[in-house]
Amino acid sequence: MRYPNTLKFILSIFLTLLSLPVQASDYRNEIVHANSLYSEKQYAKSVDAYESLIQDGVRNGYLFYNLGNAYIRMGKTGPAILNYIRAKNLIPRDENLAANLKFAIQQTQDKIEAPPLGTLNILFFWVNDFSLNELIYFSICLNFIFWGTLALWMFFPYLKIARNTLLFILILSFVSIVVKIKNDSDLKLGVILSEKVEVKSGRSLDTITLFQLHEGALINIVGKHDDWFEVRLNDKQKGWVPQNSLGT
Amino acid sequence: MKKFSPTLAILLSFLLTPALSTVGFGNDISVTATVDKNSLTIEDVLRLSIVIKGTQNTPPPELPSLPSFRVAAAGTSSSTQYINTQRSVSITHNYRLTPMKTGTMIIGPARVRINGNTYSTQPITIKIQKSSNNSTPSGKTAFVEAALSNKKAYIGEQLVYTFRLFHRVDAKNLNLKLPFDSKWFHKENLGEPKAYIKIINGIQYHVQELSMAIFPLIKGLIDIPASVIELDLLHKTQSRHRQDPFSQFFNDPFFGQRTQVQHKVLRSQPLALDVLPLPKGAPKGFKNLIGEFEISSKLGKSDLEVGDTTTLTVTVSGRGDIKGVTIEEPDLKNHFKIYPDKPEVRQVVDKNQIRGEKIFKFALVPLVKGQKTLPIFTLPYFDTEKGQYYIAKTQAITLDIKPSSTKEKLNLVQSSQQSLKIEKPEIQTLGKDILPIYTELDKFQNNGAYSLAYMGTGFGSPIIIFFISVFVMKRQNRMKYDVAFYRRRNAFKNANQRLKNMTTQAESKEFARQLSEILREYIGDKLNLEGKAITAEEVEACLKESNYQYSHAENTRKLLEKCETLQYAPMNPGSTKELLGESENLIKVLEKHS
Repeated sequence: MRYPNTLKFILSIFLTLLSLPVQASDYRNEIVHANSLYSEKQYAKSVDAYESLIQDGVRNGYLFYNLGNAYIRMGKTGPAILNYIRAKNLIPRDENLAANLKFAIQQTQDKIEAPPLGTLNILFFWVNDFSLNELIYFSICLNFIFWGTLALWMFFPYLKIARNTLLFILILSFVSIVVKIKNDSDLKLGVILSEKVEVKSGRSLDTITLFQLHEGALINIVGKHDDWFEVRLNDKQKGWVPQNSLGT
Repeated sequence: MKKFSPTLAILLSFLLTPALSTVGFGNDISVTATVDKNSLTIEDVLRLSIVIKGTQNTPPPELPSLPSFRVAAAGTSSSTQYINTQRSVSITHNYRLTPMKTGTMIIGPARVRINGNTYSTQPITIKIQKSSNNSTPSGKTAFVEAALSNKKAYIGEQLVYTFRLFHRVDAKNLNLKLPFDSKWFHKENLGEPKAYIKIINGIQYHVQELSMAIFPLIKGLIDIPASVIELDLLHKTQSRHRQDPFSQFFNDPFFGQRTQVQHKVLRSQPLALDVLPLPKGAPKGFKNLIGEFEISSKLGKSDLEVGDTTTLTVTVSGRGDIKGVTIEEPDLKNHFKIYPDKPEVRQVVDKNQIRGEKIFKFALVPLVKGQKTLPIFTLPYFDTEKGQYYIAKTQAITLDIKPSSTKEKLNLVQSSQQSLKIEKPEIQTLGKDILPIYTELDKFQNNGAYSLAYMGTGFGSPIIIFFISVFVMKRQNRMKYDVAFYRRRNAFKNANQRLKNMTTQAESKEFARQLSEILREYIGDKLNLEGKAITAEEVEACLKESNYQYSHAENTRKLLEKCETLQYAPMNPGSTKELLGESENLIKVLEKHS
């Protein structure tokens, strides 16, 4: 063959791509064990099992979902909502997750309205329906297709429209990734984990209590200073809560 | 100082005069109120005019309280007059006052606010009399009458109220107001108004007659107020020139006939009605149905199997308020499924009496086999003519229902005309719980964030592959079309190949010739020259021109000269091997530094 080295190089890239997402399989036994504990109604033990998997670095939407279920069964609405929200970042379109999250929010005491969508989120309305990994995977696939089309266009000039369209979608997908990352970093959602939390006017327990929040209440975290989170319900209601009372 | 030209002076005087005169007349504002007559009958209409002199830019006058009149605006008119270069302006606001009762009335002062000042009119006294000849309308241009079919009636009984307008001249813009309050009466129209001609005391009148069915709702003595009609009467008058000799010739309505419009408000006599309560002893199920009614029932299909559909039609017909008739749904639980249809009402007016029929339909689906008699429908009503309660009844219908020959499909029920909407109860949520956990292991792949290496490979590799491909393609194209490039790229390979194929065992003369040829062809390929035709000196010169090192160029020349020499002076086999090695080294050196 004339260019064996080039082919070897391309093959090695594909093999790398295929091998990267598939890494560990040992933790699956642990998941089976945790699920069986849940089925046997040993919810506290199943929570420990799921949490240890997460501490070991396993990131999976269904794992967070199962953990949320276990917390709900234990009557801990706050941690349940927190884990459902973590799951939502990874499996945003899962119907069971949406139903269980809704159920969990209904169990909370505080009625908190969802924050209004920003302009970017209105323009890029699809972003919240996909996880960051999905958007990246989509962009990588589109990237391959685009460059392949670009190569073909050199031989078949009539592919110009396809090339331009793909370029547009590719740019859009890149911007979507940026918007998603911005969303994840700017608007951080926290969940009240304590039974009752007093939102203070300052970063000290002896400051004025502005309002109270109860377990499971979803709240926007706008800042962090020492061991205190600055939280905001809406334009009028904001204050400080101790870090250990909030899950993020 | 320049003088004004006469034309300019005239123009300026025209332009400035109105402005100056307006200012001048601003101090002579007066407001007056006038009426077209001070004495009138209750059928007539009073015209009130409020004239504001001295200005035209004023708000409308504030009229005094006039509870004895119905007031309607009748437009405004403005006028501007020049008398002996004096300009006078005025605006007149007209009103039409319809008297509501007789007696002496005072129209209080009307007020107008102009430039911060308030101007008031003088009060006007008006005398309103009864109509000149109320009891005997003979001789009047127009009059009205109202009549009731009966002065006594049972509650809910149908009565006929008739309003008639008699007019000798043409009447236009009729506006009738009937006095019935929905609290006291339920009313139904009895068709379009009738128009006919009637002779009263030898005078021909056009009659407009409107009839209406009324049903009293409250017992007791009820006063029915007068019906009021407003209209314009068109009086045709002959012009004076009809007296001339040509009047015979021009005696045609087309020529010179004038029409005078008279606005009139005519009132009928108030009427009294004694509404009697219904007698005691009303039968069970009586729902204030007054009149005379019949009831009948029939079944669409009597030969039925379980699951079949048939229609039970119940028809109520008769005289009275047919729209108000209701019947109960038959009690056929556990034997039939019943789907009631929307009732149909057909109503006609016959001799000023409302008659009609109301048709009730029920789709029936038998659920069990066997003989079944449908219940009788009863309709209690009070007959006003006979002064008694009656109960209309249907005939009993007996059905012999056979077992179903096919599998029952109860959901395919349809009434005779339109499909029925079957309202099913909504499923109620009895409890709420979370959905179960996921157990499929395939779902539990660790999908943590992609590493930078992964993303770099994913996004970078297609770009690299693309540019490599472009490079390769361009090179292939050059190899195809650029001969010098092709020769240069393949020079070393060809020369090396040929050197390897050479054998040191060959005759030294031939060996030297081939070696010389290989060397010169290699250099020819590298420099895109005809290698076989160039001499050793030319090779050296070309190499030097092509930026090869001078030493390499000289070595090449020397080797070529050596080969040429050996073609004529034979050498031993060991020397050929040495020469071959020397040539290989030279080509490698040249290739390296090319």
